[in-house]
Amino acid sequence: MKLLNKVTIWFVGIVFLITPITMIISRTNIKRNLDQAEVERMREVNDRVARQLEAGEKPDRYTHGRPIAILPIQGPLPAEKESVVIDNFVSEDLGQKECRITVNSFYQVGDQAYEISSFNYVIKSEEIFKGMLSAVVWKVLLILLAVSLTARLLSKKVFKPFHRTMKAIHQFDLKQKQPIQLPPTSTKEFQELNSFIKKMTDKAMDDYAAVKEFSENASHELQTPLAVIRSKLELLSETNIDGTQAALIGDMQNAIEKLSHINRSLLLLTKLENQEYKAYETIKFCRVTKEVIAMYDDWLSMKEITLTTSLDKNIPLIIHPSLAEMLISNLMSNAIRHNHEKGMIRVELTRKDFCISNTGLPPEIPTHELFQRFKKSNQSNESIGLGLAIVKQICEVNGFLITYEYQNGWHLIRIVFEPGKKGDSIRSAKELETVTI
Amino acid sequence: MKVLIVEDNKELASGISDYLNGEKYICELAYDFEAAREKLLLFTYDCILLDIMLPDGNGLELLKVIRKENISSGVLIISAKDALDDKVNGLEGGADDYVTKPFHLPELHARLRAIYRRKKLEGSSNLITFNEIVLNTDTVEATVNNTLLDVTRKEFDLLLYFVVNKNRVLSKQSIAAHLWGDYTDSLANFDFVYQHVKNLRKKISAAQGIDYIETVYGLGYKFNTSKT
Repeated sequence: MKLLNKVTIWFVGIVFLITPITMIISRTNIKRNLDQAEVERMREVNDRVARQLEAGEKPDRYTHGRPIAILPIQGPLPAEKESVVIDNFVSEDLGQKECRITVNSFYQVGDQAYEISSFNYVIKSEEIFKGMLSAVVWKVLLILLAVSLTARLLSKKVFKPFHRTMKAIHQFDLKQKQPIQLPPTSTKEFQELNSFIKKMTDKAMDDYAAVKEFSENASHELQTPLAVIRSKLELLSETNIDGTQAALIGDMQNAIEKLSHINRSLLLLTKLENQEYKAYETIKFCRVTKEVIAMYDDWLSMKEITLTTSLDKNIPLIIHPSLAEMLISNLMSNAIRHNHEKGMIRVELTRKDFCISNTGLPPEIPTHELFQRFKKSNQSNESIGLGLAIVKQICEVNGFLITYEYQNGWHLIRIVFEPGKKGDSIRSAKELETVTI
Repeated sequence: MKVLIVEDNKELASGISDYLNGEKYICELAYDFEAAREKLLLFTYDCILLDIMLPDGNGLELLKVIRKENISSGVLIISAKDALDDKVNGLEGGADDYVTKPFHLPELHARLRAIYRRKKLEGSSNLITFNEIVLNTDTVEATVNNTLLDVTRKEFDLLLYFVVNKNRVLSKQSIAAHLWGDYTDSLANFDFVYQHVKNLRKKISAAQGIDYIETVYGLGYKFNTSKT
């Protein structure tokens, strides 16, 4: 929901909540003041009548035609000199509600005590309420109209810097090394927002540069000592050494091999994450696939693995050529390594996807976890567990979708080049069918 | 062969020079950009080993100097960066080949030899001869006692690697990296190395050649020229 609509709804809600409360308050106030005024007036009348009685005049002047009663009473005056009675009743002849106020005053005129009572019909609170209600309905309607109209008009003006900032953030690209340009604004909040965003993006750019620099430096700094160790070991193995020493050197060489491979793979992953391998031109993916597969002839024949391929021709794809090569070769070596002797590998390439399936032991951990770094199905395995992580990363960089399934002794890795297109799921089901046969 | 090693890491430079001295090459060392430039202008070399990252400059700049001064030496770039741009820049800048750290010394040597053959001997020596073994790098043919060996491309590469690095201990790792490249992901390569070596030895023996290749326990193999 738009911020504007939210604020409007809240505002209207508050108006609806406050209005009845204020109505009740004003009704009570009006009613009380009216009653008070009436009581005041009648008390005044009673006083005057009493003064006339005292003066011995006939109180006709006031009593005539007025709802006033003068009653001589027996006994002494009551303690209260005055009592006010408000009656709400349904009048019998009119059949409607009435409100009557009676003011009874007590006076001592000579030896005689008098009770002078005035009464009058006053306006009922319901009547006040009715009058107020129509006014309030109009008021609320007007407020609603005004709020929603002005909010819309004002927001366009007030939120303009905000929208421009949003646009600038949207267009900001870390890799272009261009500091973000934000429009100036006079609103304090937006100024704060802009300065915050500016600071954040600048920091992100610095960090990005630092990470890139670090990966380059780490590469250089680690590869050189590795090269030193490796070359010195090679020189050492040329010297006069006995069998035990040779075995020790051999172990060290293995470890260095692994170390340098891990280092290289991690650097590659970092570079992929930094999107350093941007592809700008199309390559013929079918040709790359064929070439890479041919490189594995030796392995296949030595493990006596049967390879069946069905590669469609003329498949152009936008991907960095080295990444394409690495993708296929990682998948191939993976399919060979985790295969058993005399196993099978099936490679299929179509315009839509690339599928590689191989026989092998069932995975010991859920297949999707195998894409994580250093995750291996068999922890004691010689591999370092970065091959599939690299494959996954390459797919992510190029917007491919990769899935890994295991069914009936077959490992199936499938890469969809343009995920989201129709017809993919159908093919997947078909694929599995043929594989399981 | 006279080689200039431009490498800022002294241990690595001395390691390379030790290895190449064993091949009776004359090696000179330059630890920084200025020293390298000076040496290049004063002396001539058959080959230059060039590190890209130098403390006082970029090795690629040195390539420009080499081209500007019409220095005809072969150039082999050694770099810790295997970033593609560097590779492309280096090769476009006039380098002949490229190895990434950490490399194997026999590999470095083999590439150096290849550059030397191509560049200095101007391809006239596409035949590499050792006693009864003759390797033709153009046609990828190997003969032993004038009998053509039926070898695969890999076996030919392997034999060439042995002949170039004769009397050296070649580790299984180094052979694997030479035959299948760095990205082979240690596919239990060593069994395959064993297979290839075994096949090669069989084929040479079948052609009445001397079995020069011997196993060095725990390490790898050696092309022993003193065998008869």
